[in-house]
Amino acid sequence: MKRTMTLNLTELEMRVLDALSLRKDLSKTAVLRQALRLYQTVDARVEKGDKLLFENEQTKEKAELMLL
Amino acid sequence: MIIDRSKEWWLARAAREGNAAVSAGLLAIDPVAETHSATEQPVSAEENRIAFGKFVNLMRRQQGYSIEKLADEADLDASEVLVIEDDVHYLPEPRTVYKLAQIFKVPQGKLMELAGLVVANDDDLRREAVRFAARSESMERLTSAESEALAAFVAVLSKRDGKAGN
Amino acid sequence: MSAEISRIYLLDAATGGAVEAELRDAIEAENLNDWQTKWQPALLGVLQGLARKGVPQAQWPQSWHWNWQEKTARVSGLLAYKGFSIVALGETQGLAQIDLTKSARILGEAGKPIVYIDYLEAAPWNRPELGGSARLRGVGTALITAAVFLSLEEGFKGRIGLHSLPQADTFYRDRCGMTDLGPDPDCQNLRYFEFTPGQAGTFLEE
Repeated sequence: MKRTMTLNLTELEMRVLDALSLRKDLSKTAVLRQALRLYQTVDARVEKGDKLLFENEQTKEKAELMLL
Repeated sequence: MIIDRSKEWWLARAAREGNAAVSAGLLAIDPVAETHSATEQPVSAEENRIAFGKFVNLMRRQQGYSIEKLADEADLDASEVLVIEDDVHYLPEPRTVYKLAQIFKVPQGKLMELAGLVVANDDDLRREAVRFAARSESMERLTSAESEALAAFVAVLSKRDGKAGN
Repeated sequence: MSAEISRIYLLDAATGGAVEAELRDAIEAENLNDWQTKWQPALLGVLQGLARKGVPQAQWPQSWHWNWQEKTARVSGLLAYKGFSIVALGETQGLAQIDLTKSARILGEAGKPIVYIDYLEAAPWNRPELGGSARLRGVGTALITAAVFLSLEEGFKGRIGLHSLPQADTFYRDRCGMTDLGPDPDCQNLRYFEFTPGQAGTFLEE
């Protein structure tokens, strides 16, 4: 069972959604569902005390993404 | 998600699979066979403990006890009985096994082996334990097959205990 | 929320007859129970049998003690993880666990989301590579089929990916028609396979 809702997005947010939809070959709904999924997964890990790190493979430079 | 395809469609696919192995993912890797020196004992506590958990579960149900009731009778914590039945990695206290052996009226020594508290050196018992664990299921009430498996295993436990002299 | 059930059919390897089965879009307590009380002892039995036939004594490594209950509890409630189970003849015949956070690697598709199969296995008595005669055929194919359908439903266009165990490489390469991207050093050198949307379409049409 799926439910429908209306989203109010700014012009810029809409452009980002369009761009992601194109790059990821997903419908706009699928992009938002994927975003929700990833956000929930990351949030669950951070809640548990894990850190979210990005590492550059060449430079090995690490950056932490703060979600608080 | 519902997949709606014909019987023929599924059967044709199953036929094409033939005798192929299909396992995928790191978690599907089987235990690795490793060479041991002759002096080393094979590790086998795991299989005994699977049987131990099943044994407690079946004996409890055969006697019509809830987990709470068994815990009460044996003067144990209900949570411990629960873990014994569900977690093969759990090592119970000797006192716990002693109490359970009393309640179930089976020899204490063999139950200790089964629980993994005493190093098992008995290949036949091990084989019987695995056979027993494989035959039993955890349903609400004992099936006749389970009762049979349980009775046969109790007999093996008692007989072997006498023979080993403990 | 209970699983949705699709009616599917498998083949009885001995008689060649059809066996009705349920493909469920979840792994539930009943399946976990089968895994623990039937799959594990059956596999143990086979491996012990092999050990007695002169294969070196088996030692059960940590990875084997990995516990379904624990794993399922960890991902339960998370939208990114899904499971499939196949039940026939009153017991669980196959299981698959899915991760929806991964991306495609194959050229031309890289970065696009896929249905990644974290784990896929048939019950020990359905596994011909264990040396006995397998009971049911089609369990692996049905689970891969389910993954492709999920990919379509999620808008991933049929893209799926997985790391195959060595004995299953030919199944994924030749019988499913997936692209073999070679051994993956980040995954114990298991070979990584992927379906493009086109390949997935062909797989479903066959």
